[in-house]
Amino acid sequence: MIIDMVAPVIILVYTISIMLVFIRAVKGPTIGDQVLAIDTMTYAVVTLMIIVAIYLKEAILVVTAIPLALWIYALDIYIAKYLEKKSEIGG
Amino acid sequence: MALVEIILEYVGLALLCLGAIASLIGAIGMHRLRNFYLRLHAATVITIWGGVYPIVGASILAIVMPELGVYRWFMAGAGFVTAFIILILAPAGSHALARAVHRSRTALVEPCIYDAIDSGMCVKKEVSTQ
Repeated sequence: MIIDMVAPVIILVYTISIMLVFIRAVKGPTIGDQVLAIDTMTYAVVTLMIIVAIYLKEAILVVTAIPLALWIYALDIYIAKYLEKKSEIGG
Repeated sequence: MALVEIILEYVGLALLCLGAIASLIGAIGMHRLRNFYLRLHAATVITIWGGVYPIVGASILAIVMPELGVYRWFMAGAGFVTAFIILILAPAGSHALARAVHRSRTALVEPCIYDAIDSGMCVKKEVSTQ
């Protein structure tokens, strides 16, 4: 099928974009930028994992993508609660 | 191979290529845009255009893939569920994060015209009169 020729290019493009977002996660000026970049990076990793599952024809790899997408939402909520509580206490 | 399977294969491939291009555009936008509130747009481009649509395309592609055997239905179903979860959770998470950052005054609104919620956050650019 055509996917065997196209999939390595798509995997390469996703890897480059994850590395670019990782640079923003390391050097982001505020904590909001860093959390947003980690959030975005994890959703890209979920997509990359499903494309790798298509490329290797391993159906079991898709199962690992769902908990990853659920847990990164928990990170967003924790950081948002932390920032709001800190602003209330700090004045 | 039936005609329906050929059509589904090309639809899945088109969605995958669209997602790859959108992901690259969003990753460049994370560096080019200037403050936190503008980078939310780049994050949305990566999570929705580069996340939900390629997963739907990969699921459609898994249906017409004969090498997977029975497991192709399992893979397509899990892929659709993952795409739906991301479609629900990614906007909710980034909205909560943006609200918390704006309320805790962590990031200023740097090129700003008018901020109705908190006018102290608004850093106006120096405009020379006439």
